[in-house]
Amino acid sequence: MVNNLNIMSANPEKSSGQIVVKNLLKRYHTKPVLNQLSINIDAGALCILVGDNGVGKTTLLRILAGLVHPDSGEIAIGNSGSSREPQDRRMIGYLGHQSMLYQDLNAIENLTHYARLYRLPQANMIISELIQSVGLEKSQHQMVRTYSRGMQQRLSIARSLLHDPEVLLLDEPYTGLDKQGAQFLDKRLQSLHQQGKTIFLAAHRPHRLLSFASHVAWLIDGMIAEYSPVQDIPRHANLAAYLQESA
Amino acid sequence: MTKKPKLLKFIDILCLILVPGALVLILFYTPTERVMGSVQKVFYFHVSAAWAGMLSFLIAAAAGGVYLSTRRQKWDWLSLSSIEVGLVFGLIAILSGMIWAQPIWNTWWVWDPRLTTTAIMELIYLAYFILRSSLNTPESQARLGAVYAIVSAATVPLTFFSIRLFRTIHPVVIAAGGSGGSAFNMTPRMLLAFFVSLFVFTLLLIDLVWHRSRLAKIQAINQGEGV
Amino acid sequence: MNPFWDYLNAIWNILRKDLQVEWRGKQGVPVMLVFALLVVFLFNFALQLSPDLQAGLAAGLLWVSLAFASTLGLNRSVSLEQENKAMDGLLMAPVDRSAIFFGKFLSNFSFTFLVGLVLLPVFSLFYQQNMFKSMLVLVIILGLGAYTSLGTLLAALSIQTRTRDVLLPVLLYPLALPILIAAVEASRSILAGQPISDYQSWMTFLLACNILFTAAGLMFFETILEE
Repeated sequence: MVNNLNIMSANPEKSSGQIVVKNLLKRYHTKPVLNQLSINIDAGALCILVGDNGVGKTTLLRILAGLVHPDSGEIAIGNSGSSREPQDRRMIGYLGHQSMLYQDLNAIENLTHYARLYRLPQANMIISELIQSVGLEKSQHQMVRTYSRGMQQRLSIARSLLHDPEVLLLDEPYTGLDKQGAQFLDKRLQSLHQQGKTIFLAAHRPHRLLSFASHVAWLIDGMIAEYSPVQDIPRHANLAAYLQESA
Repeated sequence: MTKKPKLLKFIDILCLILVPGALVLILFYTPTERVMGSVQKVFYFHVSAAWAGMLSFLIAAAAGGVYLSTRRQKWDWLSLSSIEVGLVFGLIAILSGMIWAQPIWNTWWVWDPRLTTTAIMELIYLAYFILRSSLNTPESQARLGAVYAIVSAATVPLTFFSIRLFRTIHPVVIAAGGSGGSAFNMTPRMLLAFFVSLFVFTLLLIDLVWHRSRLAKIQAINQGEGV
Repeated sequence: MNPFWDYLNAIWNILRKDLQVEWRGKQGVPVMLVFALLVVFLFNFALQLSPDLQAGLAAGLLWVSLAFASTLGLNRSVSLEQENKAMDGLLMAPVDRSAIFFGKFLSNFSFTFLVGLVLLPVFSLFYQQNMFKSMLVLVIILGLGAYTSLGTLLAALSIQTRTRDVLLPVLLYPLALPILIAAVEASRSILAGQPISDYQSWMTFLLACNILFTAAGLMFFETILEE
């Protein structure tokens, strides 16, 4: 796998992608999934969101991505403030549980479609470099329908990085990746972190990330129970124990 | 539990008095129509029911619009209740129309514009309940129900207009009568009974929708406690 | 960059992507076409239609088969975005979300219009009358435009439900009735060789439907798609 770390212009001096969430409430039926959740993630942080299944990790990320409307609460991402214009979505890259890919198009066509939606200049170059970096150049002309789960995940990662977003919201990005793919993602995340991108990443098995992440947020029953820089984890006994368990 | 408002109680009692009152008025006060005979007396409740049905679908659309802008559940309850009550009124209008049509037009069913529009309206709003029942969360039921209620209300006049245009272009016999009151001249007594019926049915509509809305609220509260 | 061009660009890109997927998978137009022909054959035997069909019947048959076949394409169009949640990708695009409605509407329209264009020679052959009339093509454009704009809206609505695509016909047919009446009547007049003044009002009516349902799509599409 090729690791081309200089694909997009690094822009470390200008990091504007802080995430501010205040009193976020989201109910499904009458049960609150997110219960007055507040969190501040500084620009340039690589924050791991941990928690058991069903505590609202996905819902939180989808709300931040603008795909789910919260019942109440405030969200500000980057400089946009709480009023979110369509153009502000350009700042966000989101990787969900599902690939958002079209089965009947090949890798290049899928990425080209998204590049056009973002009106990227020099899209062809960016796309071929991305496809190379995720190791799909051999199958780039095959329809996504023929891809394995891991290949789809790689292409999906490429899709979320396509428009060089300031803020990356990644929901279980290691799902389906083989050892090689996971190592690639490790490196890629580190380099994005160095470039000053804000990365908010949900993982129910966060262990491999702890060596290079900057923060950990622990979600319990729709609330952030603990939020701590990685080096301070030992001071939070419960969180440390939880991370030990889930390793 | 929420207490029953005084005004609602008052309307309850008013309806209890006025509905039989209107019936007495229609049966004994109005003259028997010369050509159609006593079956013409169906007309008063028939038109009133159709009116109440239409009105409740309009209320449902308006309440849906308010729901979409405020996202307060009570507007969804109002919208849902209006459609439910409207369906019943629509059914009354169709059935009473059929009872009237049988001796007058010699058939239970005619493809008359008003009758057909009402029947399609019933189908449209039956689909509303199918839509709601196949949605999982109360929030999506309310949101998508509101959109559907608004779009539906917008098409009802279109349906009526198109069927009417359709029938007038065709040289058919039905054009003259309609199911409404244009075919015969109403005496003052008839007019009085007619307007009383309209008023009573409007009041009845408000009463039923209000009750049904409160029921929806109580239901939601109970379900909330259950979780 | 100019937001207006961004908007048009997004519409065009969604349309282009749909055309690309259709060209690759061929799961829309051929299926609709075969289904439309099946409907024609079914009706032919069920109603014992003769080859020298009256203008009214031919027009009715054309629109019934188009209306039935369109629902397949509409469902396919929305489920394409629902598979792998590609719709999320569109929702994340930095452009007003009503552009998604226009893009999907235009692709739905193009596919059903293509089916309509293929049906015309088939009908001419089957029912021994020339169906290639420019006014008839115009009616098909107006009729399918209104039908698919309403259909795109309702398909997005029905895909949110548990029953998914099953619900679309139940929601669409009663609401689309005025469109179908107008389209059938205009087509009938054209096939019977009547002057334009005879069906002008139907054309205006269809145009109004286009405007109304496109406006509804603009207003409600984002509301329907939000979670």
